Formats: sequence, C-alpha cells, structure tokens
Amino acid sequence: MSTQTDQPSFVDRYPEEAAVVRRSLLVAFVMLGIGALMGLVQALHRTNVLRIIDSADYYTVLTAHGVFLAIVFTIFFLVGLYQWAVTRSLDRSPVDIRFTHAWATMMTVGSLMAGAAILLGFIDEVPVSADVLFTFYAPLQAHPIFYAGLAIFIVGTWMAGADWFRTWLAWRKDNPDERIPLQTFMVLTTMIMWYVATLGVAVEVLVFLLPWSLGLIDSVDPLLTRTLFWFFGHPVVYFWLMPAYLLWYTVMPKIAGGRLFSDPLARVVFILFVLLSTPVGIHHQYVDPGIAQGFKFIAMTNTMFLLLPSLLTAFTVVASIEHGARQRGGTGLFGWLTALPWRDPAFTGMALAGLLFAAGGFSGMVNAGMNINYLVHNTLWVPGHFHLTVGTAVALTFMAGTYWLWPQLTNREIYSRPIALAQVVMWFGGMALMSNAMHVAGLFGVPRRTAEPQYSFDFPALFGTIGELRLQIAVGGTLLFISTVLFLSNLAFSLGTPKREGFGQTIPPALSGPEDSPAVLDNMKLWAAIAVVLVVLAYALPLGAIISDNGLFGVGIEPYPMLVRPLFDWAGATLAGLAEVIA
Amino acid sequence: MSGTTVPAESNETEAEPSVSAATGQEEIQRELSHEEYDPKGTLALILIYFAILMAMWVFMYFVEFLGNELVVVG
Amino acid sequence: MHIHSYEKLWLGMALLLIVGFIGTITYGTVGAGVQMVDDSGGNVEPGNVSEHEEFGEPGVEKVGENEYDVHVVARQFVFNPGSEVYGAIEVPVNSTVNFYVTSADVIHGFSIAGTNANTMVIPGEVAEITIETEETGEYGIVCHEYCGEGHHNMEGLLRVVPEDEYNGSTQ
Ligand code: HEM
Ligand SMILES: [Cu+2]
Ligand SMILES: [Cu+2]
Repeated sequence: MSTQTDQPSFVDRYPEEAAVVRRSLLVAFVMLGIGALMGLVQALHRTNVLRIIDSADYYTVLTAHGVFLAIVFTIFFLVGLYQWAVTRSLDRSPVDIRFTHAWATMMTVGSLMAGAAILLGFIDEVPVSADVLFTFYAPLQAHPIFYAGLAIFIVGTWMAGADWFRTWLAWRKDNPDERIPLQTFMVLTTMIMWYVATLGVAVEVLVFLLPWSLGLIDSVDPLLTRTLFWFFGHPVVYFWLMPAYLLWYTVMPKIAGGRLFSDPLARVVFILFVLLSTPVGIHHQYVDPGIAQGFKFIAMTNTMFLLLPSLLTAFTVVASIEHGARQRGGTGLFGWLTALPWRDPAFTGMALAGLLFAAGGFSGMVNAGMNINYLVHNTLWVPGHFHLTVGTAVALTFMAGTYWLWPQLTNREIYSRPIALAQVVMWFGGMALMSNAMHVAGLFGVPRRTAEPQYSFDFPALFGTIGELRLQIAVGGTLLFISTVLFLSNLAFSLGTPKREGFGQTIPPALSGPEDSPAVLDNMKLWAAIAVVLVVLAYALPLGAIISDNGLFGVGIEPYPMLVRPLFDWAGATLAGLAEVIA
Repeated sequence: MSGTTVPAESNETEAEPSVSAATGQEEIQRELSHEEYDPKGTLALILIYFAILMAMWVFMYFVEFLGNELVVVG
Repeated sequence: MHIHSYEKLWLGMALLLIVGFIGTITYGTVGAGVQMVDDSGGNVEPGNVSEHEEFGEPGVEKVGENEYDVHVVARQFVFNPGSEVYGAIEVPVNSTVNFYVTSADVIHGFSIAGTNANTMVIPGEVAEITIETEETGEYGIVCHEYCGEGHHNMEGLLRVVPEDEYNGSTQ
C-alpha cells in the first residue's frame, strides 16, 4: 500500500487525540482476541468435535465470550471511532483532554473488574465468579465486582458522551449558523439514544442487582430485572450498529471513489434510531409469562417500523458505492460492480459485512415477528442471527475500517494488504458457514447456550443432517478464529512498519448535502424529548403491571450465587493468606 | 498542531485515493453530479432483495411456522 | 430536501413490507389463532411451590372431554414431571393440553423440541400455553435458558399416545 497523499494525517494534526483513539482500539482488539478464542472453544465443544474443558466451565467461557465481545470490544471500538469522528469533523480538540483520559480510564477499570470476576470463575480455589452470561438474569447471582465493574464502565461511556457534547457546544459558539457536520451528528444522536437506553440497565444494576449481591436487599424480582435488562438490551444493538453505519455512510463511499448519495437521509435514519430503538425491548420477551399479549403486540409494531432506517440505509449506502463505481468507469445494470475496489481490504471487508447484514436482516425480521418467535426463541437460530449482525456487520466493518484508519492514527502502513484481504474474505466464509448452520439447527429445535446439546432424544431433523450441521459450525468457527489471528498479527506487525508521511485522508462532501435538509433535523433537544415520551408510552404500563403483580423486589425469591463464598469472607481469606505469606 | 488548516469537508474534487487501496488502483475517471446520476444498479439490487425477503417471509411464516407441530393456541 | 425518485419508491416499498409483516402477524393471531404466553397463568411464590394446590402435586389431570391440564415444576436441573426421575409426560392424541409451568428456583426454559411449544419459565410467574395434539409420538423437552452449571442435563420427554393406550397417569 504505497498510496501517497499530500494531506497531513490525523495523528499529524491531533497527536493527543490520536493516542486516545489508538488506545481504545487496542483494548477493543485485545478483547476481540480473547473473545475469539472463547468462540473457538464453544464452537468445538458444543459440536462435540473437541472438548478441552469441563462442560460446567462452558458457561464461564460463554460469559466471557458474550461480555468481552458484545460489550467491551464493540464499545471500546465505538469510543475510539467516535473520538476520531468528532475531532475530525468538527476540526477541534476536546475542551479538556484530561476529561477524555478520565473516561477512557473509567471504562478500562470497569472492564477489568467485570473481566476479572468472569475469568476467576475458571479458578476453583478463588471463590469469585460471574457465570451469569452477558444477560445476567436474576436470581442467578454474580460476584459484586462484576456488577460494580459494569456500572463503572457504563458511567465511563456517559462521560465520553458528555465530552463529545461539550466539544460540539464549544464548536457551536464559534460556528452559530453552520449545520452540524454529519459525523458529529451521528455521534450525538447515538449518544442521546444511549443515555435513554442505559437508564434501564443502570436502574437494574444500581437499584437491584448490586445491593442484592452485597446482601443489602434480600430479593429481586426476576421478571422486573429482566425487563429492565431488555429495556437496554435492544438499543445496545443499535449502539453496536451505529458506528458501523457511520463507517458505511461516511468512509465507504470515499474508499469506493464516490460520494455519499444523500446527507439529509442519513440524518433522518439516525433520528429514527433515536426515536425507535428503545420502546421495542419487550420483543425479547415475546414468550415471557407475566406480560400481557397487548404489550407484546405494541413492541412488535414498533420493532417493525425500526426496520425502516436500516432499509433506507441499504439503499443510500449501495447508491453511494455505485456512484463511486460509475465515477471509476463502471457501466451497465450490474457491470459497475466489477469497477469497485475489491483489492482494497477496507472496502471488501465492509461490503461483505453489508452483504451478510442483508441476510441477518431477514432472520431478524423473523425474530421480530411476535408469534413466529415460538419457532426460534432461544434456539441456535438466534446466535446464528446475531453473528451476522453484531458478529459480522459490526465486527467485520470495524476490522475493515481499521485497515483504513490505522495508518492515519500512526503514520505507519498496514503490514500486509494481501493478508488483510484474505482475512476479511475468510471471516465472510467462516461466518456464512457457521451462521447458516446455526440457523438451520435452530429450526430443528437445537437450543442455544448449551454445552452439550446431545440429549437422550433426537432432534427431528432429516437423518444425518444434525451431524453435518455440527461439522459446519466447527469448521466455520475455526475459520473465524484463524481470521481473527490474521487480523491481530497483521496489526501487531504494523506497529513496526516504517513511519512516513502522506496518510492524510479527506472525506468528500455528499452529493445531496445538508443544506438540502430542514434545520429541525439538527434540533437535538427535540429528538431527545420525543424519544423519552415514546419510551414512557411503551414502558409505563408493562412495568407498572409487573410491579403491581410482584412488588418491586419480588416475593420469596432466593438468590443463586454463582460464587462459593460472599465477598467479605473472600476478602478475609485473602488477607489471612497474605498475612501468612508475609510472615 | 491543529493550526495547520485543512478544511475537514474539502470541496476539492480531486480526492486522494484510499490509504488502504492496492497499488495501481484505478483512479476516478469522471465526475458525476447528483443530477447526472441515477442509481439504477442499486434500484435493481434492492428490488431483488425485496423479492427475496417476501418469498422467504412467506415460506418461514406459513410453511415453517404455521405448518409446524404443536401450534400454541391459548 | 430533494429526495431521488428511486429513493421515494424504495421508501414506499419498505413501508409496504413493514405493513405486510404486521398484517401477517395479526393474521396469525386473529386468523390462525396463535396466542402468546401472557399474564393469564398468574403468580406463585417459588418458595411455596411444594405447598401449592396444583404445583404441590404436579402432573397430568383430565379436566374435560378431551382436555388435560399439565402442571410442571422446573428446578435445577429437572422437569417434574418430564425428566427421567419423575417419568415422561403422557397425554392422548387428539386432545387439548394446557401446560402450566413454573420455576422453583431460577429462570428456565420449556421447549418441546422442534415444535412451536416454547416458553420461558420465570420464578414467580406461571407460564400457560395450550396446544392440540394431532399425532402420536415422542417429543424431547429441553430447558433452553441457562440455569446453572448442569443446564445441559435438563431435559424431559412428552409422549403423545393413541387414545386407547392412555391410562391417565404420569410415568
Ligand atoms: C471467532 C469468532 C467467533 C466464534 C467462533 C463464535 C462462536 C460462538 C458460538 C458457537 C456461540 C454459541 C454458544 C451457545 O449458545 O452455546 C456464540 C455465542 C455468542 N457470540 Fe460468538 N463467535 C465468534 C465471534 C463473535 C463476535 C465477533 C461477537 C460480537 C461482537 C460474538 C458475540 C456472541 C454473543 C453475544 C453470543 C451469545 C452469548 C450468550 O448466549 O450468552 N461472537 N459465539
Ligand atoms: Cu432486540
Ligand atoms: Cu436450563
């Protein structure tokens, strides 16, 4: 990759900010590596290809996989990317970089605490564990440092949002009449959504689970805490997706040699996410007892309308790429596809990610379909679905985006473009194989989250196919793991390529620019207010009904700690042990 | 450092190639404005996607789901 | 704000798709009669399950001409009845079966493998689902929600037997 430009790169212009971005991405990639290893163990274990762990430990592995990948990897990448996007598009530094360092530190400390609680579950001698999976449904109970770590992590993300809002307000003072640059617009709308969404999990953890794990309250209501979890659990999906969309809308047209087709439509899409992401969480509870069918129906209609922004995105993004292809000489109804820069791993990775997202979109429509949820709920279909969305549309876009972003953050070239290209193609192939087999196995009734789905009865599949599906999952998972290793090692070698100039990149303006759109789109307060109203409308009645049935803290619910001794005993034992060592 | 001013959103048409591009990647050959460009290929692709979605939905809902055993009726 | 005519077309089609999905699902509820698990099962304290009128002695009970109530208690890591230690659940073919499932400890799942009968089992709540048995045969039952380190051992069996072989007891 010897493309030379005369623009100064991001790190030339904003060295301190580039350092924050780099560090966030590095944390994200370390988590990706650990998570992928866990994924490999799962794929081989549950297909009975290779069982190196005890089946009881499978759930420790699965908790680590879910938390490290779906929470830590995705969100650390997000904060890194968004720090870059805000700085670049406003062309200005944070108001106080120390605050920027503070939130990055908070998030790291929180992740380390939660991560330690999970991984200590492997060591039987240490009575700390958090084998509660990333959904941590009560009354399964994790060690308090797991919940405390999560809380600190989330507060860190809130501070990050505050930092970006502050930067924007400062910019606004100097530029009172300008439209918000698109990337900053995307960051701000994402964070409004996030503030609304995280209310659910903040209440769940701070009011219920953390005090309960410390023994301050006796009991929590499983249905209520679970409903609060999903209040957050659906919008978090869009928290993963919106940074990927930011890359698709603003970076992908650039590397395709084209321009964004419509800036106003991109804004409309992000506003729809702010409004509709949260009042839909009950769609994860379609088959929960204790929630009336009417509430489920409302969640279903809201969810279906939430398809709209993604369907619009499909058009705008593909049209922007087609624009690039035609500017690069592409012709014909489909012939232009050959004029795309397929040898650029950043482009190919994002394009393949988008392709699998189109397939994942379909299985998501099935998940969303209320009564058809009976067919797929908690079967392997569901992880089949979200490995296409968060596991590919998001994860592969992030990796592909890194090939483009990293040189601008370091002034160093990516070690090997061909390896990068092989890596993204391998992820695509591995995931197509694994995810397709998971979908099909799910239709036969094979459950998810299970170490040994070999029961004393047979799943009603055609003879022999369950064995084939297992093999596809194992092979797909192995390809994915190799792909992750290629990504990480390519990046590690890129730390040592020679430094040079000329990695600056500009992002071309949209074909139809922001001046074409009504100014009300930029009114953040208005959208935040409407989002809150919609959430109240969707959740006041269901939450009220649960609380009036069960009370706030449930009736007669015993905790089922996933640890052997409570915190204080453990601290005591540790101190005693230390004293012995010193003496 | 941020004193070196490069407009964030440059209107310059000669955009530099992607830093991740392969050596010798084709350059942009012509400029297409909003007026000159109709995304015909995109429309064709998205219509195909629409047809697939409809067919798959009907299959999943009416064959796989309603045709499955033990439908929950109450 | 000028939107390209193709984009307007796609917006219209996307809305059509969404309305079509909602329409299908409404048909499933109203036309095909598929009902979601809801709050009709009521509540039961997990600690008091063994003293509960029905869940104290869970099992199959004939409640009408061709209608049976089946009360099931899920606990780490068995279904009572359903799992081997308690015996399979047995019901006759061509009958209406109302399942009432609750948990005595943590959250579990209750899924009759490969069929549409599938519900969460949440402590404090009673999941009520009604099915119609149309064919004889054996169906596996799995707990499909992680419930602790023995989760993968939590399974059961449902036997749908011909009317004349049905002897009215759980075995
Ligand atoms: C090396 C690549 C990967 C492999 C081989 C892999 C494999 C798997 C498998 C087999 C499961 C199902 C386990 C079960 O239900 O018993 C699973 C679950 C899951 N995976 Fe992955 N995965 C990979 C990458 C990812 C990525 C990149 C993400 C997200 C960014 C992700 C997120 C998840 C989540 C959230 C679950 C569900 C955990 C739960 O049920 O609690 N995975 N993965
Ligand atoms: Cu959701
Ligand atoms: Cu279980």
